[in-house]
Amino acid sequence: MNKNKSMVSKITESRNFGLVLGLVVLLIVARIITPSMYSVNSIINMLQNNAVYGLLAVGEMMVIITAGIDISIGATLSLTGVVCCRLMAENPGVPGIVWLLLALVIGALCGAFNGILVGYFKMVPMIATLGTMYIFRGFSFLFSGGQWWFPHQFTEGYMAFATKKIAGLPSILWILIIVFVLAIIFLGYTTKGRRIYAIGTNKESSQVAGIKEAKVVFLAMTLCGMLAGLSGMLYTANYATCSYMIGDAYEMTAIAICILGGVSIVGGKGKVDGVIIGFLMMAVITYFISLLPGLSVWSDAIQGAIIIAAVALNKFTERSAEKRALKERSALI
Amino acid sequence: MSGEKNTNVPVRDLSVKQGFKLSKFLVSWEMVLIYILILINLVLIATRTNLYFAPGTIQAIIQSGMDVCPLVLGMILILMLGDIDVSVASTMIFASMVTGLCCQSGMPAIIGVVLGIGAGALCGAFNGFFVAYIGMPAVIVTIATSMLFRGVVKIILDVNVLKVFPSFYTTVAWTNIAGIPLSLILFLVMGAGFVFLLQKSRFGRKLYIIGNNPTCAQYSGIDVKKTKLIVFVIMGAMCGVASIFFVGRMGGSVSSTMGTGYEMTAIAICVLGGVSTNGGKGKVYGPVIATLIMAFLTYTLGLLEVDANSRKIVTGFILIIAVLIPNVNRELLASMKLKFIYKGNKNIEALNVKTAAEVKALKESIAEAKKDTSLNETDKASKIKKAEDKIDSLQKKCKKQTELWLREQREDEKKAKERFAAK
Repeated sequence: MNKNKSMVSKITESRNFGLVLGLVVLLIVARIITPSMYSVNSIINMLQNNAVYGLLAVGEMMVIITAGIDISIGATLSLTGVVCCRLMAENPGVPGIVWLLLALVIGALCGAFNGILVGYFKMVPMIATLGTMYIFRGFSFLFSGGQWWFPHQFTEGYMAFATKKIAGLPSILWILIIVFVLAIIFLGYTTKGRRIYAIGTNKESSQVAGIKEAKVVFLAMTLCGMLAGLSGMLYTANYATCSYMIGDAYEMTAIAICILGGVSIVGGKGKVDGVIIGFLMMAVITYFISLLPGLSVWSDAIQGAIIIAAVALNKFTERSAEKRALKERSALI
Repeated sequence: MSGEKNTNVPVRDLSVKQGFKLSKFLVSWEMVLIYILILINLVLIATRTNLYFAPGTIQAIIQSGMDVCPLVLGMILILMLGDIDVSVASTMIFASMVTGLCCQSGMPAIIGVVLGIGAGALCGAFNGFFVAYIGMPAVIVTIATSMLFRGVVKIILDVNVLKVFPSFYTTVAWTNIAGIPLSLILFLVMGAGFVFLLQKSRFGRKLYIIGNNPTCAQYSGIDVKKTKLIVFVIMGAMCGVASIFFVGRMGGSVSSTMGTGYEMTAIAICVLGGVSTNGGKGKVYGPVIATLIMAFLTYTLGLLEVDANSRKIVTGFILIIAVLIPNVNRELLASMKLKFIYKGNKNIEALNVKTAAEVKALKESIAEAKKDTSLNETDKASKIKKAEDKIDSLQKKCKKQTELWLREQREDEKKAKERFAAK
């Protein structure tokens, strides 16, 4: 019975259909109210300024799939940004790629610390990352000494990783696209990626199947930290300013993108394509709000309301799907 | 009676009330917290003797930490359910805004306060409805509502600051009665109320059951959804109460950007106080002491010229260590022992554990025999000798078997290596 479903019903019943529909409606509304939104330049600009959220959301998604949560990524972003900026300002001669690698290493170390606490010491993820959030943010301040860095201190090679245009797109977007593609391959087609889903779906049975929970959680959190570190470097390169205060509450936006994209907070569910759509939605919403005069104070409230609506909708569709499945099964009997 | 004892079957002690044991009481988590509190005080005395004994210092320290206390009390109930609420700071600001707007428009103070607490409870009910009746995870709902409530405050207040508040707000936060801060007295009174609510009332016991096993609670006839909703409403109302302490502490003014990070402080204090974030574990005393610890710690570090952001590092480490200590206990030690002493061989571990238990039982029987007055000396000596011999033989047997198994394991590994090498 399921096999003979028509193409149309397959599309309408897929998870992403509602998301795409929402995105289209949003775009139409934006088109009517603010026509200026639709130039190629402004769209690229919008994506460029939101790209950091996309990177964070991909990392956060991996952690949420293991049924955990990481609220220290904003602080990790701040720490890597500060460390890279300070060293870059002190050693202007070093090529930019060094800072990119350094950012990845620092981020991975932060993530690994989280991973050890959550994976090997079995701490509750929320509490462990709450503690490390304080720690990373504090170290970020200590390392910066309360200092700010401004555009004239940034080297060309450093900023090129975010702003240099390759084939019409700024390189930060190319990096984002590469990360998306790598995440799709990793989560969909590699053993380690599938293990992340297995742990999130059912810990006991995956352990019986020989998957070590601690290792998988450690891997997911390290990757999440790595992406947060990368986004810290790219954030400072994009705006060419840095202080220890950057990335405040970015984890909330990253989590919001994941939830909009259909990643289940109880673990085991969620795909990269959903996160991409969630990222586009969030980018459009924030950009749209910033274009409307006098609406900038509304942004928080609107974001919060959208998340609640999205998750509630998610719940209802899940329930109706369950009911439909039950009906089909009872029809078979 | 003696026949029962000789069977060596461990009979589970089903009596719920255990007698008061001093040794157990002294190492309980609440007492550990008190030791930490005393330690911090000693550090403070050692480094700033004059200041510590100057009049008003201790009161100032306590007052500085009291603005989160109602949030902590509410958070205990939320964590007890295994949920979490990160919207408390936003709710607190929302409640203060309602009170401020009422007072600004010239309503009597009492109506403003009641409306403020009511607004907090309404926010809590909003959270609770989505968590309990729609079944959304509490983290997500409260992250969203923390944006939503603060967003509403931003829309209404924009960049304005509300300054008209009832005069008793600042009185609560800044005055002492007979040398004791008024806020501390109120905190302890509320704390006593929560002790009664959580540990003595039927409602509180329900929370423990739900926190331990919601499904089990559902089947034993507890209305889980309704209870969750009530807890979130209580949390919201406590946010309203917290707005009194908070606004008073801020000198009677409120703006939309105040109070960020209070939710994390409240959660950190609860966790430090021994409330499990998995639900179903914890008491009110712990967080009450932890609130004081946090106040003294922040103040002490401030006096030692540690800046605000380095204090964050200390707070973070304390939070992690506080959660780790109970985690590090037996389970981890056992797994370490298995890995390093028994070389990952579970048979050896089981044998050793079993032997240790038998040896312990025999040693107990020796001690009993020594005390026993009904036997004459020779009988006693022979009995003790017998038991000691048995212990000896048991230990020897265990050692032999362990060596045998270890050797077997080593040989197996060698063989496996050779096989792989051959391929």
